[in-house]
Amino acid sequence: MSDGSTVTEEKIQTLDSGSFRPMVLEAEGRIAVEFMSYGCGYCRAIEPLLQRVAETIEADETIFRVNITAEPDLASEYGISGTPTFVMFLGGQELGRVEGPSPNYASVRDAVTGPFLS
Amino acid sequence: MNAAKADVQRRIVPILLYDDGCATCSRIARWVHRSASRSAGEPSILDRPVGNDPSELRRLNPGLNIWDAYAVSHVIMPDGSMKLGGEAVAEVLRRLPSTKWMAWFLDIRVVGIRPFQMLLNLAYRVLDDVRPILGCESCGRAKPWVRPIERLTKWAKGMGRQGVKPSMALHFRPLPVAHQRVAGQSRQSSTGVKG
Repeated sequence: MSDGSTVTEEKIQTLDSGSFRPMVLEAEGRIAVEFMSYGCGYCRAIEPLLQRVAETIEADETIFRVNITAEPDLASEYGISGTPTFVMFLGGQELGRVEGPSPNYASVRDAVTGPFLS
Repeated sequence: MNAAKADVQRRIVPILLYDDGCATCSRIARWVHRSASRSAGEPSILDRPVGNDPSELRRLNPGLNIWDAYAVSHVIMPDGSMKLGGEAVAEVLRRLPSTKWMAWFLDIRVVGIRPFQMLLNLAYRVLDDVRPILGCESCGRAKPWVRPIERLTKWAKGMGRQGVKPSMALHFRPLPVAHQRVAGQSRQSSTGVKG
């Protein structure tokens, strides 16, 4: 955890409790929300992969981030039991969720696109 | 301390950033705070939690990334440079009135290397690895060499995985049950993709 390597930002917008409703629940199209925290090593491990996935699929799907340390009420509302947890929405309805995908590109891409393909 | 004064002060003394989700780091930061405030006048080093706002950290130093700030100890120097890991610890020791004598040892060079600084770097790595045993909520899964000690410690304390809901996902940091409120438990939750 202490390799000090740099993770670049930023294809993914961070939401708070005020922006969650308009951007996710009232929005059209495919949306994936990553519930994460900056202190979580697994979230850090998948961050560059998630940025790549977000860039690849941006025409079809939007990925947002919710920091559960800053937004504990949102985490509570969605029953988040750990990080990272991806919750996928379509038309404001939860379509599926994935907890802790493996830190490789295919797993992260499958996590955020899988529920929309089934 | 008002914002203007804090702004001026951070340009003349280093700032130690620490992970306030880590009990060990918070204890060390409190000790640094007490030690730095002990002498008369302004503190010789400031401390502040990393927090949750990446843009706020970039205002402190444009090269500072929040993920990195959580992953390794940072000291931001007044000239804008940053010291990381064991070097950050050395800078803290150098600045505190009670430990600045150690700087002399840390700066000793023998055939081009600094043996005491190397020892400090090693100690930092070990402490970093064992933080999960010492009560770090944000450290994630312990390194493989630490896991047997972690299990033994929990067994000795009679804790097991008490308070943490087990998860089948390997790359997943479960939250303590106390952090998962009733409102969330009524929602459907499972590991894996649901169709």
